[in-house]
Amino acid sequence: VTATEGARATGLRREKAALIALASIEGIGPATLLACQAACGAADAWSSLQAGRGAEVEALVHAAALRWKREPEALARFRRDAAGMDADALLARHEAAGQRVLAIGEPTYPARLRDDHAAPAILFAEGSLDRLDDPTVAIVGTRNATRLGRETAASLAVELADRGVSVVSGLALGIDAAAHEAIASRSGGGAPIGAIATGLERAYPRRHQRLHRQVAEAGLLLSESPIGSEPSRWRFPARNRIIAALSDAVVVVESRSAGGSMLTAAEAVARDRPVLAVPGHPTSPASAGALDLIADGAIPVRDVTDVLVAIGCGGRHPIEERPDVADRPTVSGAAARVLEALDAGPRTLGELVLGGRMEIEGTSTVLVELEELGLVVRSGAWFERTGRPTGAARARPDR
Amino acid sequence: VGFASIPSAIVVGVDGHRVAVEVHAATGIPGLTIVGLPDASCREARDRVRAAVLAGGGTWPSLRVTVNLAPSSTRKVGSALDLAIAVGVLLASGQLEPEVVRNLAFVGELGLDGTVRPVPGIVPIVDAIAVDEVVVPVGSATDAELVEGPKVRAVATLGELLAALRGDEPWPDHDRPPLPPVPGAALDLSEVRGQPVVRKALEIAAAGGHHLLMIGPPGAGKTMLASRLPGLLPELDRSSAMEVSRIHSAAGRSLRGGLIRRPPLRAPHHTATMVALIGGGTDAMRPGEVSMAHGGVLFLDELAEFPPTVLDALRQPLEEGVIRVNRARFSATLPARFLLVAAMNPCPCGEAGRPGACRCPDGVLVRYHRRLSGPLLDRFDLRVDVLRPEVEQLLGGEPGEGSMAVAARVAAARELAIGRGVLANAHLRGSELDRWAPVTDRAHDLLATTLRSGRLSARGLDRVRRVARTIADLAGHDGALTASHVGTALHLRADVRLGAGVVA
Repeated sequence: VTATEGARATGLRREKAALIALASIEGIGPATLLACQAACGAADAWSSLQAGRGAEVEALVHAAALRWKREPEALARFRRDAAGMDADALLARHEAAGQRVLAIGEPTYPARLRDDHAAPAILFAEGSLDRLDDPTVAIVGTRNATRLGRETAASLAVELADRGVSVVSGLALGIDAAAHEAIASRSGGGAPIGAIATGLERAYPRRHQRLHRQVAEAGLLLSESPIGSEPSRWRFPARNRIIAALSDAVVVVESRSAGGSMLTAAEAVARDRPVLAVPGHPTSPASAGALDLIADGAIPVRDVTDVLVAIGCGGRHPIEERPDVADRPTVSGAAARVLEALDAGPRTLGELVLGGRMEIEGTSTVLVELEELGLVVRSGAWFERTGRPTGAARARPDR
Repeated sequence: VGFASIPSAIVVGVDGHRVAVEVHAATGIPGLTIVGLPDASCREARDRVRAAVLAGGGTWPSLRVTVNLAPSSTRKVGSALDLAIAVGVLLASGQLEPEVVRNLAFVGELGLDGTVRPVPGIVPIVDAIAVDEVVVPVGSATDAELVEGPKVRAVATLGELLAALRGDEPWPDHDRPPLPPVPGAALDLSEVRGQPVVRKALEIAAAGGHHLLMIGPPGAGKTMLASRLPGLLPELDRSSAMEVSRIHSAAGRSLRGGLIRRPPLRAPHHTATMVALIGGGTDAMRPGEVSMAHGGVLFLDELAEFPPTVLDALRQPLEEGVIRVNRARFSATLPARFLLVAAMNPCPCGEAGRPGACRCPDGVLVRYHRRLSGPLLDRFDLRVDVLRPEVEQLLGGEPGEGSMAVAARVAAARELAIGRGVLANAHLRGSELDRWAPVTDRAHDLLATTLRSGRLSARGLDRVRRVARTIADLAGHDGALTASHVGTALHLRADVRLGAGVVA
């Protein structure tokens, strides 16, 4: 029995090593990997390719044809790339870097991905794979988000994590980062689960280096790209399918009509997962995609309850009233008009002056008050609404 | 053997330098040598002078003629010494009596037919001359007369000059019809529709001498707005007008019969070379665009497109009001105190980085903004966004306030600044701010909050206070600065490096 197990373990290692090696070749993507693995095992495909018999592997021929039209040349390139590679050393390198290497078909491979029609044949993981047993919700959205969008993403993430729901996202700028940053340094409750496009050794964008580490420590970081993979364009939509496949539901917080989050939503629809979207102001470009989704039948998110109901956890956790709503300072007059204008999206001082029919000093004074109340923030030349007051600032009469 | 020494002058940078043209004629192999560091254009005088003397009715002596341009240690550039050389040769060869040129200086270029041609830089040249009378070309006479100093005699040809010097004819009296003023200078602010914030920023910039950065997509009207700024500035007083006129004259521009009273506007393109912008280049050390903008406005459109070396070179004039050009043989200090107005696109997509709407990838924005150095950005006290005006404003909007009304407020504010001992509030020293720009408790709190949030540096704090002082001055408020003044100053100072939406 031990001998058989030993042989099986050796076979599995060979298979993993071959998958990593194949995935490291430019022009071989997730679909080809999966096809190689399903047909005769990646190990066979790899040895064929190295021996110059790549033409015998149907999946490789197909990939070559797709990529360069001229099969023989493409196959020759695959072979040239493969010639210098040591598959076993690649596997050892990933393990030495502290990554779990998971091949499809082995028992530890995540159940959520196992039966997916576009499952990644090889998966690299850092952190705790157990987090995938939690209920999961993806929070995704645009990189160039508004303040309100980032706050919404953050508060949804916190409220979901409070109820034991883990939050899946892509560690991109904007919404993705806001959702994960809000829960990355917590302990207990739901955890951040990041699915990224590059290899796990590389934070992209670079300024998310810290967040990257935090997610790996507090939760789980996953990728189907081996070490050294460039952040090529195609990897991002491919990563989005993993986000959709990992999640019980996908929430789009803000997205332009042609944003990448729309692809994540589409992947979720293809997998019969509920898609939710945070409704924004009808004229705000940042919310156009979310509103498109709602028009197409996505569930609007009013608060976290809508998300919990969508994943079937709704009944178990009664939602108490948001405590800060009552605390929220109310404003009137000119300040209220400025806030109303900002509801439609970020504005410059000039736009507010024109819209408000008020002198610059007057508008400025109102903005100063609103900033002090934490109802408005400024980034660059833009004034934006916040979701809730940020500080303990309270209205104070001018002395 | 004859000798003569004729006073004349040349221009280096924006200053005239006295030159004594010494001519020595003696027996020897006939010919003319010029010594005393003449450059190529100056050495060519040899051939021009000979032809002109013959054309003017003189004879060319069969003598060995040596011309020394004293002091011989500095380089002589240009053709302004032609006339003095010709007179010197005539004197040294005995064709003119020394008495007739006593206390006369000569400036002008000669043509082969004896015409006396105008020379660039006549104002600083005449200014440098220390004798009672100066003979200049007719074409330069109007400008030369602007200088308080020597009596100006205008001549059109060398023959005419010889006749007058010999007493055969009276000094010629050339008709000099006044040149028409440069047309189309009247650009009025009332032609600008909408854009309340930029209008205000222009007014504050004009009143307080605060440098202004306009950030906006192409077509938003940045150039149109900038070109209206000189119209808001007060006219130059006599001494600044003289200074500005000297610079423009040194750059080879005709003053068209009057001192430059309107603050100039210079708008060099970003492809202009370093020398064209900063000055120098040839041995004449021509003033560059930054000096031509002295006393007025330097407008740099597409700021981020200027080569970083050029932008770095702007720091000295912004700090000291002068630019020092140093070359191996020469150095010159050129005046360059200007109001800097710059424009740039917020980002390639034109959405001005509006959070949630800008489509530019993060990397592009970062690269774009990285082109501007922090120290340069810090010089802009006013940084405002210029968005394209809405259609309704273009078609239906009522015309804005005219330049006259704004200029009146600007002039009043400048008066207040002069009362504080500076030309404009931007020049108030940090140590004087507590005296001239105190703040109310509430404004103090606001500044403290902003400082704590890290959006304002200590240097920025002083700048905000100066701008707030100007805002208050324009509003006729002479007490401590209120939160409204300080808040407006803060809001007119957008942080450009902080691309919207990348506040991760």
